[in-house]
Amino acid sequence: MSRPTNESPRPYDPVDLSSRAFWAGTDTERETAFAELRAKRPVSWHRPLEDLLFTDPNDTGFWAIVRHADLVEATKRHEDLISGEGILMESLPPELLEAGQSIIAMDPPRHSKLRRLISKAFTPKQMKRIEDRIRANARMIVDDLAPKGEADFVAECAALMPMHNICDMMGIPYADRQKVAHEAAMPTGVSDPDVVGEGDPVQRLFEAAGYLHDMAKRLAAQRRDEPGDDLITALAVSEVDGARLTDDEIGAFFVLLCIAGNDTTRQSTSHAMKALTDHPAQRAWLMADFDGRITGAVEEFVRWATPIMTFRRTAARDIEFGGQTIRSGEKVILFYSSANRDETVFDRPNEFDLSRDPNPHVGFGGNGIHHCLGNQLARTQLRVLFDELLHRLPDIQAGEPDLLNANFIHGIKRMPCTFTPQR
Amino acid sequence: MKIHIDEDKCTGHGVCEAIREDVFEVGDDGVAHLITEELTEDMREDLQDACDQCPTQALRLEG
Ligand code: HEM
Ligand code: SF4
Repeated sequence: MSRPTNESPRPYDPVDLSSRAFWAGTDTERETAFAELRAKRPVSWHRPLEDLLFTDPNDTGFWAIVRHADLVEATKRHEDLISGEGILMESLPPELLEAGQSIIAMDPPRHSKLRRLISKAFTPKQMKRIEDRIRANARMIVDDLAPKGEADFVAECAALMPMHNICDMMGIPYADRQKVAHEAAMPTGVSDPDVVGEGDPVQRLFEAAGYLHDMAKRLAAQRRDEPGDDLITALAVSEVDGARLTDDEIGAFFVLLCIAGNDTTRQSTSHAMKALTDHPAQRAWLMADFDGRITGAVEEFVRWATPIMTFRRTAARDIEFGGQTIRSGEKVILFYSSANRDETVFDRPNEFDLSRDPNPHVGFGGNGIHHCLGNQLARTQLRVLFDELLHRLPDIQAGEPDLLNANFIHGIKRMPCTFTPQR
Repeated sequence: MKIHIDEDKCTGHGVCEAIREDVFEVGDDGVAHLITEELTEDMREDLQDACDQCPTQALRLEG
């Protein structure tokens, strides 16, 4: 792979966060690198990511933000550290970014106006209103799983819960759901041939984006004629600055919701199931007072899983940050997995401890303007699904996970599970 | 005691609603509204929390 020709403005940190080998390694290996940086060089400059698909010739490197406090500060300084120049560590062709990122890669004022169109659907009060529906989906999934005795936990449980719930909220027919979820998994799985297949991954991404945009366009046209109480209707009929969103804008928002709504909750569920299997004492503690303990436990599920490992910002001007001068235009990467293991914030950070309280993890972000729109939805889904699952299939055990090779999503592709069949 | 909501900044995160659902509610317009005029001294701590935790710094407690 050719390296950028541009000169680095300063020496690179000796710790490697950029190679494919680093990202193909284990969580423990990565945590060793992060721990060293957190302790010694919390804001450090690294050589460009060894990109897989697309090399940005102007890339000279990136800053790494690894401490909890710094990540929170970076998220809140949204005028200094903007999202509009891109939010992924990996470089991708600009047309693809345009097609799939929407508000997460926008800055105010446009960001705020678009986010408001659908924020009402994700508020705590709204979650209470739709909790029955979410529970019905959990029951259906566990009903289907229960007689099997063994299954792929990811495909037959973890992936289904977020898929049905986000599709219910968007008004996507049952028949299209598997395909929508499958296509939406392409962007985050692009570095793994197991997900995207053997062909050209960029081509595969364009196909996925095309499929999802066509679907969004069709649904939007239909909802303009027959409005429903769903997110597509909200996007299709609302106006921002006196104009309706274009089909491309609706398409991009749709893709963002499909990706964000499916992938992250699926990964949290799978990692949590594995952790509950590996830590029987924690599981027993949870089951001894499930209703009283699950809300706090869900926070630890998300900290433990940290489904999103990285997001990117770009310096809008020269800024001082953590004792360093970050120059205008330079990339800054937020390492959520590192912040969630910061020993100055979490006691025994490498232990899975469901009783952790407080648990100020940054799994959903650092409470800035891009803070996860779906955080209440994700929390509700995890609570309700594990309620059904662990009570109906009390001896369910996870086997060895097959991990996704990626620098963005902390993913499990497949994971066997076994249990005494019910009914 | 009064709460001022900056509607240009608020993006309807609902953090305030999660803290005091009897005071705040995100409306169909996607921004937070006060659903009561009666703000009493015993709410002060929660209201201050809501102001501090609002991700967009849209809330201000006055008086
Ligand atoms: C456990 C599950 C989830 C995790 C760990 C997660 C994590 C995150 C993170 C880290 C961010 C960026 C925060 C920041 O930059 O400060 C984010 C943003 C976002 N999430 Fe989630 N998420 C989850 C579930 C969901 C769900 C279920 C949805 C449903 C639609 C969703 C929709 C979004 C959207 C739309 C954004 C962009 C918001 C913006 O730019 O204003 N997420 N999420
Ligand atoms: S917490 Fe802030 S941004 Fe969120 S709804 Fe309340 S006022 Fe608006």
